[in-house]
Amino acid sequence: MTSAQHTRTRTAPAIAVPAWAWALALLALFALYLVAQDDGAVLASAGDLAHEFFHDARHSLGMPCH
Amino acid sequence: MATAVEDRAETAPRFAPLLGRFALAGVVAGAASGLWALVVTERAIAPALALEEARGSGHDHGHEELVSRSTQLVGGFLGTVFAAVVFSVVVAAVYAAVRHRLPGRTDAGRAAVLAAIGFGVFALLPAVKMPANPPAVGDPGTVGTRTAIYIAVLGAGVVTALLVSAMVGTLRARGLHPSAVAAAGVLATVALVAATVLLVPDNPDAIGADVPAAVVWDFRLASLGQLAVLWTTLGLTAGYLVDRLARRG
Ligand SMILES: [Zn+2]
Repeated sequence: MTSAQHTRTRTAPAIAVPAWAWALALLALFALYLVAQDDGAVLASAGDLAHEFFHDARHSLGMPCH
Repeated sequence: MATAVEDRAETAPRFAPLLGRFALAGVVAGAASGLWALVVTERAIAPALALEEARGSGHDHGHEELVSRSTQLVGGFLGTVFAAVVFSVVVAAVYAAVRHRLPGRTDAGRAAVLAAIGFGVFALLPAVKMPANPPAVGDPGTVGTRTAIYIAVLGAGVVTALLVSAMVGTLRARGLHPSAVAAAGVLATVALVAATVLLVPDNPDAIGADVPAAVVWDFRLASLGQLAVLWTTLGLTAGYLVDRLARRG
Protein backbone atom coordinates (compact mmCIF):
# COMPACT_ATOMS: atom_id res chain seq x y z
CA MET A 1 0.00 0.00 0.00
CA THR A 2 2.46 2.64 1.11
CA SER A 3 5.21 2.95 -1.41
CA ALA A 4 8.81 2.68 -0.29
CA GLN A 5 9.60 6.19 -1.43
CA HIS A 6 6.78 7.58 0.66
CA THR A 7 8.05 6.10 3.91
CA ARG A 8 11.61 7.17 3.18
CA THR A 9 11.05 10.85 2.45
CA ARG A 10 11.61 12.41 5.88
CA THR A 11 14.00 9.92 7.39
CA ALA A 12 17.50 11.12 8.16
CA PRO A 13 20.32 8.60 7.84
CA ALA A 14 21.11 6.65 11.02
CA ILE A 15 24.38 7.00 12.88
CA ALA A 16 26.33 3.97 14.04
CA VAL A 17 26.91 4.30 17.81
CA PRO A 18 30.06 2.44 18.88
CA ALA A 19 29.91 0.33 22.05
CA TRP A 20 32.51 2.55 23.73
CA ALA A 21 30.06 5.45 23.46
CA TRP A 22 27.60 3.67 25.76
CA ALA A 23 30.42 2.63 28.09
CA LEU A 24 31.57 6.24 28.26
CA ALA A 25 28.03 7.44 28.94
CA LEU A 26 27.64 4.96 31.80
CA LEU A 27 31.05 5.88 33.21
CA ALA A 28 30.13 9.57 33.09
CA LEU A 29 26.84 8.91 34.89
CA PHE A 30 28.62 6.86 37.53
CA ALA A 31 31.17 9.64 38.06
CA LEU A 32 28.30 12.09 38.51
CA TYR A 33 26.69 9.71 40.99
CA LEU A 34 29.92 9.52 43.01
CA VAL A 35 30.15 13.30 43.13
CA ALA A 36 26.46 13.87 43.73
CA GLN A 37 25.33 11.25 46.22
CA ASP A 38 25.26 12.44 49.78
CA ASP A 39 25.72 9.47 52.07
CA GLY A 40 29.34 8.67 51.26
CA ALA A 41 28.38 5.04 50.61
CA VAL A 42 30.88 4.60 47.79
CA LEU A 43 33.74 6.99 48.38
CA ALA A 44 33.48 6.96 52.18
CA SER A 45 35.62 9.53 53.95
CA ALA A 46 38.06 9.85 51.07
CA GLY A 47 35.32 11.63 49.16
CA ASP A 48 34.38 14.08 51.91
CA LEU A 49 36.36 16.93 50.43
CA ALA A 50 35.01 16.56 46.89
CA HIS A 51 31.63 15.96 48.45
CA GLU A 52 31.63 19.26 50.35
CA PHE A 53 33.16 21.06 47.38
CA PHE A 54 30.25 20.11 45.11
CA HIS A 55 27.64 20.57 47.85
CA ASP A 56 25.87 23.60 46.37
CA ALA A 57 25.69 22.05 42.90
CA ARG A 58 23.92 19.04 44.40
CA HIS A 59 21.23 21.25 45.93
CA SER A 60 20.84 23.57 42.96
CA LEU A 61 20.55 20.71 40.44
CA GLY A 62 17.71 19.24 42.52
CA MET A 63 19.61 16.23 43.81
CA PRO A 64 18.92 14.90 47.32
CA CYS A 65 21.22 16.33 50.00
CA HIS A 66 20.96 17.29 53.64
CA MET B 1 25.64 21.65 -5.37
CA ALA B 2 22.56 21.88 -7.57
CA THR B 3 22.16 18.11 -7.62
CA ALA B 4 22.22 17.90 -3.85
CA VAL B 5 19.43 20.41 -3.25
CA GLU B 6 16.63 17.91 -3.70
CA ASP B 7 17.50 15.70 -0.74
CA ARG B 8 18.85 18.64 1.30
CA ALA B 9 22.32 17.12 1.15
CA GLU B 10 21.66 15.34 4.43
CA THR B 11 24.41 13.04 5.57
CA ALA B 12 24.92 11.21 8.83
CA PRO B 13 27.88 12.57 10.77
CA ARG B 14 30.27 10.09 12.32
CA PHE B 15 29.95 9.53 16.05
CA ALA B 16 33.30 10.80 17.32
CA PRO B 17 33.00 14.34 15.87
CA LEU B 18 29.35 14.38 16.97
CA LEU B 19 30.41 13.57 20.53
CA GLY B 20 32.95 16.38 20.38
CA ARG B 21 30.24 18.87 19.39
CA PHE B 22 27.95 17.69 22.20
CA ALA B 23 30.74 17.83 24.78
CA LEU B 24 31.57 21.38 23.72
CA ALA B 25 27.89 22.25 23.98
CA GLY B 26 27.94 20.67 27.45
CA VAL B 27 30.73 22.98 28.56
CA VAL B 28 28.83 26.00 27.21
CA ALA B 29 25.58 24.85 28.84
CA GLY B 30 27.42 24.18 32.11
CA ALA B 31 29.00 27.63 32.09
CA ALA B 32 25.64 29.29 31.38
CA SER B 33 23.75 27.42 34.11
CA GLY B 34 26.78 27.72 36.42
CA LEU B 35 26.53 31.49 36.07
CA TRP B 36 22.82 31.22 36.84
CA ALA B 37 23.80 29.21 39.93
CA LEU B 38 26.15 31.94 41.13
CA VAL B 39 23.85 34.88 40.38
CA VAL B 40 20.40 33.41 41.13
CA THR B 41 20.45 30.06 42.95
CA GLU B 42 23.14 30.96 45.49
CA ARG B 43 21.07 34.00 46.42
CA ALA B 44 18.22 31.60 47.22
CA ILE B 45 20.52 29.24 49.14
CA ALA B 46 21.88 32.00 51.39
CA PRO B 47 18.74 32.48 53.54
CA ALA B 48 18.51 28.72 54.05
CA LEU B 49 22.11 28.60 55.27
CA ALA B 50 21.42 31.57 57.56
CA LEU B 51 18.47 29.66 58.95
CA GLU B 52 20.66 26.64 59.58
CA GLU B 53 23.17 28.80 61.37
CA ALA B 54 20.41 30.35 63.48
CA ARG B 55 19.34 26.89 64.59
CA GLY B 56 22.83 26.40 65.91
CA SER B 57 22.46 22.79 66.87
CA GLY B 58 21.97 19.71 64.76
CA HIS B 59 23.54 18.74 61.49
CA ASP B 60 26.14 21.26 60.43
CA HIS B 61 27.16 19.06 57.50
CA GLY B 62 30.79 19.86 58.23
CA HIS B 63 30.76 22.99 56.06
CA GLU B 64 33.08 25.07 58.16
CA GLU B 65 35.67 22.40 58.85
CA LEU B 66 36.28 21.09 55.37
CA VAL B 67 35.45 23.68 52.76
CA SER B 68 34.84 27.43 53.09
CA ARG B 69 31.69 29.08 51.72
CA SER B 70 33.58 30.86 48.93
CA THR B 71 35.11 27.54 47.88
CA GLN B 72 31.64 26.02 47.85
CA LEU B 73 30.52 28.75 45.45
CA VAL B 74 33.31 27.71 43.09
CA GLY B 75 32.26 24.09 43.60
CA GLY B 76 28.65 25.00 42.84
CA PHE B 77 29.75 26.45 39.52
CA LEU B 78 32.16 23.64 38.62
CA GLY B 79 29.74 20.95 39.77
CA THR B 80 27.11 22.38 37.46
CA VAL B 81 29.61 22.38 34.57
CA PHE B 82 30.54 18.79 35.38
CA ALA B 83 26.90 17.67 35.44
CA ALA B 84 26.23 19.43 32.13
CA VAL B 85 29.20 17.70 30.48
CA VAL B 86 28.02 14.32 31.82
CA PHE B 87 24.53 15.00 30.44
CA SER B 88 26.02 16.04 27.10
CA VAL B 89 28.02 12.79 26.78
CA VAL B 90 24.93 10.70 27.53
CA VAL B 91 22.72 12.78 25.25
CA ALA B 92 25.27 12.47 22.42
CA ALA B 93 25.01 8.66 22.46
CA VAL B 94 21.21 8.79 22.68
CA TYR B 95 21.03 11.42 19.95
CA ALA B 96 23.16 9.38 17.60
CA ALA B 97 21.06 6.29 18.28
CA VAL B 98 17.66 7.94 17.70
CA ARG B 99 18.54 10.81 15.35
CA HIS B 100 16.82 9.23 12.37
CA ARG B 101 13.63 8.84 14.39
CA LEU B 102 13.46 12.28 15.99
CA PRO B 103 11.01 14.77 14.52
CA GLY B 104 12.55 17.82 12.88
CA ARG B 105 14.10 18.43 9.49
CA THR B 106 17.45 19.68 10.73
CA ASP B 107 19.86 18.66 13.47
CA ALA B 108 19.04 21.93 15.23
CA GLY B 109 15.40 20.90 15.39
CA ARG B 110 16.10 17.31 16.43
CA ALA B 111 18.58 18.33 19.12
CA ALA B 112 16.02 20.79 20.50
CA VAL B 113 13.44 17.99 20.72
CA LEU B 114 15.83 15.66 22.54
CA ALA B 115 16.95 18.42 24.92
CA ALA B 116 13.30 19.18 25.70
CA ILE B 117 12.78 15.50 26.55
CA GLY B 118 15.93 15.60 28.72
CA PHE B 119 14.59 18.63 30.56
CA GLY B 120 11.28 16.84 31.08
CA VAL B 121 12.92 13.70 32.48
CA PHE B 122 15.74 15.23 34.54
CA ALA B 123 14.14 18.50 35.66
CA LEU B 124 10.35 18.73 35.28
CA LEU B 125 9.41 15.25 36.47
CA PRO B 126 11.60 15.43 39.62
CA ALA B 127 10.23 18.95 40.20
CA VAL B 128 6.70 17.51 40.19
CA LYS B 129 7.39 14.41 42.27
CA MET B 130 10.21 15.51 44.57
CA PRO B 131 10.93 19.24 44.22
CA ALA B 132 14.44 20.45 45.04
CA ASN B 133 15.05 21.57 48.60
CA PRO B 134 17.54 24.13 49.91
CA PRO B 135 19.85 23.34 52.83
CA ALA B 136 18.06 23.34 56.23
CA VAL B 137 15.18 21.23 54.92
CA GLY B 138 16.49 17.71 54.47
CA ASP B 139 17.00 15.14 57.21
CA PRO B 140 20.50 13.63 56.80
CA GLY B 141 19.08 10.35 58.08
CA THR B 142 16.79 9.93 55.08
CA VAL B 143 19.26 10.84 52.34
CA GLY B 144 19.63 7.21 51.24
CA THR B 145 15.86 6.86 50.86
CA ARG B 146 15.63 10.17 49.04
CA THR B 147 18.45 9.22 46.67
CA ALA B 148 16.62 5.96 45.87
CA ILE B 149 13.38 7.88 45.22
CA TYR B 150 15.22 10.39 43.04
CA ILE B 151 16.81 7.63 40.93
CA ALA B 152 13.45 5.82 40.69
CA VAL B 153 11.83 9.03 39.42
CA LEU B 154 14.57 9.50 36.80
CA GLY B 155 14.19 5.86 35.75
CA ALA B 156 10.41 6.27 35.45
CA GLY B 157 11.02 9.38 33.35
CA VAL B 158 13.34 7.50 30.99
CA VAL B 159 10.79 4.67 30.67
CA THR B 160 8.03 7.22 30.03
CA ALA B 161 10.07 8.88 27.28
CA LEU B 162 10.83 5.51 25.66
CA LEU B 163 7.22 4.27 25.81
CA VAL B 164 5.68 7.51 24.55
CA SER B 165 8.15 7.90 21.69
CA ALA B 166 7.67 4.26 20.67
CA MET B 167 3.92 4.77 20.70
CA VAL B 168 4.13 8.03 18.76
CA GLY B 169 6.42 6.38 16.21
CA THR B 170 4.02 3.46 15.74
CA LEU B 171 0.99 5.73 15.34
CA ARG B 172 2.82 7.95 12.87
CA ALA B 173 3.88 4.92 10.83
CA ARG B 174 0.22 3.82 10.72
CA GLY B 175 -0.58 7.14 9.06
CA LEU B 176 -2.68 8.60 11.87
CA HIS B 177 -3.42 12.32 11.68
CA PRO B 178 -0.59 14.32 13.33
CA SER B 179 -2.97 16.04 15.75
CA ALA B 180 -4.35 12.67 16.85
CA VAL B 181 -0.79 11.39 17.35
CA ALA B 182 0.05 14.50 19.39
CA ALA B 183 -3.07 14.10 21.52
CA ALA B 184 -2.29 10.42 22.15
CA GLY B 185 1.29 11.34 23.07
CA VAL B 186 0.15 13.99 25.55
CA LEU B 187 -2.43 11.66 27.12
CA ALA B 188 0.06 8.81 27.47
CA THR B 189 2.63 11.19 29.02
CA VAL B 190 0.09 12.52 31.51
CA ALA B 191 -1.00 8.99 32.43
CA LEU B 192 2.57 7.77 32.96
CA VAL B 193 3.56 10.88 34.95
CA ALA B 194 0.46 10.39 37.12
CA ALA B 195 1.42 6.75 37.64
CA THR B 196 4.93 7.83 38.68
CA VAL B 197 3.58 10.41 41.12
CA LEU B 198 1.17 7.88 42.64
CA LEU B 199 3.37 4.78 42.71
CA VAL B 200 6.79 6.14 43.71
CA PRO B 201 6.98 6.87 47.46
CA ASP B 202 6.92 10.50 48.56
CA ASN B 203 9.85 12.46 49.97
CA PRO B 204 9.85 11.38 53.65
CA ASP B 205 11.15 14.75 54.90
CA ALA B 206 8.73 17.29 56.32
CA ILE B 207 9.73 20.92 55.89
CA GLY B 208 10.51 22.38 59.32
CA ALA B 209 8.09 24.87 60.83
CA ASP B 210 10.93 27.39 61.10
CA VAL B 211 11.56 27.34 57.32
CA PRO B 212 9.45 30.02 55.58
CA ALA B 213 7.65 28.85 52.43
CA ALA B 214 9.24 31.72 50.50
CA VAL B 215 12.73 30.38 51.25
CA VAL B 216 11.78 26.97 49.90
CA TRP B 217 9.92 28.19 46.81
CA ASP B 218 12.44 30.87 45.84
CA PHE B 219 15.02 28.11 45.87
CA ARG B 220 12.87 25.66 43.90
CA LEU B 221 12.21 28.22 41.17
CA ALA B 222 15.89 29.17 41.04
CA SER B 223 16.86 25.51 40.76
CA LEU B 224 14.32 24.79 38.03
CA GLY B 225 15.49 27.91 36.17
CA GLN B 226 19.07 26.70 36.43
CA LEU B 227 18.12 23.34 34.87
CA ALA B 228 16.11 25.14 32.19
CA VAL B 229 19.16 27.22 31.28
CA LEU B 230 21.29 24.07 31.21
CA TRP B 231 19.03 22.04 28.90
CA THR B 232 18.07 24.97 26.67
CA THR B 233 21.69 25.96 26.13
CA LEU B 234 22.70 22.33 25.61
CA GLY B 235 19.99 21.74 23.01
CA LEU B 236 20.52 24.97 21.10
CA THR B 237 24.33 24.86 21.12
CA ALA B 238 24.60 21.16 20.25
CA GLY B 239 21.95 21.61 17.56
CA TYR B 240 23.83 24.51 16.01
CA LEU B 241 27.19 22.70 16.09
CA VAL B 242 25.87 19.34 14.81
CA ASP B 243 23.86 21.10 12.11
CA ARG B 244 27.05 22.66 10.80
CA LEU B 245 28.82 19.31 11.08
CA ALA B 246 26.11 17.53 9.07
CA ARG B 247 25.95 20.23 6.39
CA ARG B 248 29.70 20.15 5.94
CA GLY B 249 29.23 16.47 5.18
ZN1 LIG C 1 23.24 19.85 51.59
